[in-house]
Amino acid sequence: MAKAVLVDITKCVGCGGCTVACKLYNELTWEEKEPQLGEKANLCANNWTVVQKFAVDTPETGVWRYIKRQCMHCLEPACESACFTHSFVKTKEGAVIYKPTELKQDFCVGCRYCMIACPFDIPKFEWDKALPFVRKCRFCNDRLKAGEPPACVSVCPTGALKFGEREELLVEARQRISASPHYVKDIYGEKEYGGTSWLYLSDVPFEKIGLKTTAFEKPVSKEPIPLYSWNVLKWTPYIFVGWGAVLTALHYYTKRRVEVHEEEMYEAVETKEDIKQ
Amino acid sequence: MMSLNSKELEESKEITRRAFLKIISGLGLTGLMAGGLSGCVPKQTGEITPPLLAKSKMWPENVVGRIPIDPDNPSIVRYDEKCILCGQCIQACQETQSVYGFYNLPVVDETICINCGQCTLVCPTGAISERDDTRKVLKALADPDKFVVVQTAPATRVALGEEFGMPAGAWVMGQQVAALRRLGFDAVLDTNFTADLTIMEEATELIKRIKGEIDKPLPQFTSCSPGWIKFCEYFYPELLPHMSSCKSPQQMFGALAKTYYAKNKNIPPEKFVSVSIMPCTAKKFEAKRPEMNDSGLCLGKPALRDVDIVLTTRELARLLKQRNIDLNKLPKENYDPLMGESTGGAIIFGATGGVMEAAVRTAYFFVTGQQPPASLFNLTPVRGLSGIKEAQVDIPGAGTVKVAICHGMANGRKVLEKVKQGQSPWHFIEFMACPGGCLGGGGQPRTTALPSDEIRTKRLNSLYQADARWQRRESHENPEVVALYHKFLEHPMSELAEKLLHTEYVSRADKLNRTAVAAARSWKLRVVK
Ligand code: SF4
Ligand code: SF4
Ligand code: SF4
Ligand code: SF4
Repeated sequence: MAKAVLVDITKCVGCGGCTVACKLYNELTWEEKEPQLGEKANLCANNWTVVQKFAVDTPETGVWRYIKRQCMHCLEPACESACFTHSFVKTKEGAVIYKPTELKQDFCVGCRYCMIACPFDIPKFEWDKALPFVRKCRFCNDRLKAGEPPACVSVCPTGALKFGEREELLVEARQRISASPHYVKDIYGEKEYGGTSWLYLSDVPFEKIGLKTTAFEKPVSKEPIPLYSWNVLKWTPYIFVGWGAVLTALHYYTKRRVEVHEEEMYEAVETKEDIKQ
Repeated sequence: MMSLNSKELEESKEITRRAFLKIISGLGLTGLMAGGLSGCVPKQTGEITPPLLAKSKMWPENVVGRIPIDPDNPSIVRYDEKCILCGQCIQACQETQSVYGFYNLPVVDETICINCGQCTLVCPTGAISERDDTRKVLKALADPDKFVVVQTAPATRVALGEEFGMPAGAWVMGQQVAALRRLGFDAVLDTNFTADLTIMEEATELIKRIKGEIDKPLPQFTSCSPGWIKFCEYFYPELLPHMSSCKSPQQMFGALAKTYYAKNKNIPPEKFVSVSIMPCTAKKFEAKRPEMNDSGLCLGKPALRDVDIVLTTRELARLLKQRNIDLNKLPKENYDPLMGESTGGAIIFGATGGVMEAAVRTAYFFVTGQQPPASLFNLTPVRGLSGIKEAQVDIPGAGTVKVAICHGMANGRKVLEKVKQGQSPWHFIEFMACPGGCLGGGGQPRTTALPSDEIRTKRLNSLYQADARWQRRESHENPEVVALYHKFLEHPMSELAEKLLHTEYVSRADKLNRTAVAAARSWKLRVVK
C-alpha cells in the first residue's frame, strides 16, 4: 500500500527538527548561506526539506505559520515522465526516487527536464559539482521499505507530521476538517496535479503559505502533468535512433550551462510551462 | 506508472554516469556513446526492490526531537549543525519549566520562550548556547570616548571559577573584579548594591501591602527573575497585580548608573556604556524590554537604554580566555565605590530563598525598628534545594508573615495555581525561573554532566558561607544604599524611586492561543523520555 504523510500546518511549532533529521539521516552538508528554517529557507541540493515561515494576515490579527516543504511525491510524477533516461521512479511504497543516487543506476545526463517539469519546483541541481546529480527528498526510501516513518516524521514533537497509508490519512484529514471550523476545507495534495503522497491541512489559505493554488491565473490542475505534453517524452529514447548524438551535445551543453547564470534557467522554466498550459 | 524489474536492473550493465562521462570525455566518440547509452536504458516494467542504502553514519541512536527556538531570540541561539535531536531541551523546557507543551497550537506570532536558558545547560552538544554579545563589549572597551561600567550579579562569583578549573562553588569575587579591571572596564561595580536596594524597595512595598496602604493584593510576588516575569506574563497575566513593581537588581542598577553614578562622576550619560555580567540568559531579554529606558526618560533622552549589554558568566569566561587572563593568577580586588558595596542579604540573592530571607530581615527591621532575632539570619526552612519551600515569621506589629519559595517554573506553576484558586495562605512568594535560583542560571558554566543538585549545592553553600562571615548582613545597613537615599532618592518608593526603580508588566496571553483549534490540543501529551 502506498504510504503518505499528512502535514498539519496548525500543529507545526517551527522547531525545524525535521530539517535536521533529514540532514542527519541523508548525510547532507550544512551551508551557512542555506538556512533550513525561516523566511529565507529554500530547497537546494543540500536542503531536501525546509521549514518556511510566513507572516499571514488573518481577519483578527497577523499570525505566523510554518510549513515544511519537500518533494510532494506525486502519484504520477511529472519528473518521472519528463526524464527520457527514466531516472525517476515511483516505488510501490510511494516514494519518488532518483535512480542515479538511490539505485546507482546512472543514466541521468543532467538535462534538468525534471526540474522544469516539476510543478512544485522540487528537484535541485548540484550546480557546484563538476559531475552533478539532481537531488531531492527521497521519502527516506529505505525506511519506507522497512515500514518505518521517514526520518523527518520520526522527530516531529507535535504531531504536525503524520505517517500512514494515504487512504487512511485522507480519512483522518477529512475528520480533522469537519471537527474544527478553522481548517481550510481542502486537503492540499489530494487532487493537485493528480494527487501527491504528501498532504497538507491548513487554517490559512494555501497560497499564503507558499502552496501553489493557481498557475497562469488558473486553478492548478487536478490532472497529472504526465497527461500533458510531457507524455511524449517517455518514449523519446526509444524513438530517436540518432539519440546518442543529441546526448553528447547535451552533455557539453550541460557542462557549459552549469556556469550560466541561474536567471537564464528560470527563463527556460517559464517557456516550458507556457507550452504545457 | 513506471517501475522497474529488479531482475532486469541487476542484469543491466552497471555504468555510472561518472565512469561513463569519464570514458566519453576521453574518447569523444559520439557514435560509441549513442550505442552505449540507448542500450543501457532499462525497460520500465515490473517491480523494483532497490538496494537499501547503508544506514546513515550521522543518524543518532536515539532521536526524540527538539524545542522551537526563534532565530531572533535575544537570549539563546542554536547551531543546527550540532543538534542531534536528543530531546534534552524538550525535557528542560517542558518538565523543568512547564513552558513547551503548555500552550495551544497553532502558534500566534511568537515562539513561546521565557529566555531562561536552561536548555543551554542540558544540550549535550552545545548546540544551544547564549547569544554571544562579547564583541559588542570589546567594541565599547576599545572606544576611548566611552566610559564603560560593569556590574556583576551575586551568583557569578560562585561559578566563574569553574571555567578556570576551580572546584564548584569557589568564591572568586575579588578575582572577578580584578579580571574585569584587566579587561579595561572603567568602573567595576556590584549588582549586589542594587540587590540591597531592591530589598529596601520590595520590603517597603510588602509592608504597605500587608498594612493596606497600597491597593495591591497579597501575596506579593518577587520580581527579580526576568524568566519568571515573562512566565507570569504568558501564563498567569491575571496574577500580575501580585507582582512586586520593583525592577530587578540589574535594571535598578542600569537606571541608576546613567543618572546617579554619571552625575556623581560628572560623565555625560551618552558616553556611558552599561554592561552587566549575569548568570542568566533572560537578563539579555530583560535589558531589551522597551520600557527599560527610565534613565533615558529622566534625562530627556529616551533612546538611552538602562543596561546596554548583558554578558553571561560563560561569555565573561570566554572573553577572559581570549585575552589570556587566568583567574587563578589574579589578586583579589575590591569593587569601585559609590555602587560597589553590599551586605550578606544581597549575596544570598543568588540562591533560591535568598531574596526571601533578605527581605524578611529588612522587613522585620522596618516594622519593629529593631534588629531581627538570630533565627532570621539562618532561616533554614527557606534554604536548600527542595522545589517548594514554606516558612512563617512572627514580626511584632505585622503579625505572622507566611512565605513560600519556589524555583523552576514547573514548581512555580503549582504555587500559582493555588494562588489563582484563592488557596494561598501566603503573604510573600519568591519565584525563581531556574532550579536553585540564579546560581543555577542558564548563563552559568556548563558542567560535564547534566546540571545537578550536587553542583548547585556547592554554589549555594558558598553563598551562604559568605553571608555568614559578612560584616553587615541586612540590606538596610549598606552604607552606600543609605547614602543613595540620602543624596538622591530620599526614601523607598519616593517619586524618583518609583520612576527609576519600579516598573509595570504586560500580559502576553495573546501570544499563547488559548482558544486553539480543538484538534491541535492533544500535542501536549507527547511522552518525554
Ligand atoms: S513534487 Fe516534483 S520532484 Fe517530487 S515527485 Fe512530484 S514532480 Fe517529482
Ligand atoms: S522523507 Fe526523508 S528525505 Fe524526505 S524530507 Fe523527510 S527526511 Fe528528508
Ligand atoms: S519537526 Fe514538526 S513541529 Fe518541528 S518544524 Fe518540523 S513539522 Fe514543524
Ligand atoms: S538538547 Fe541540543 S542536541 Fe538535543 S535536541 Fe535540543 S538542541 Fe538538539
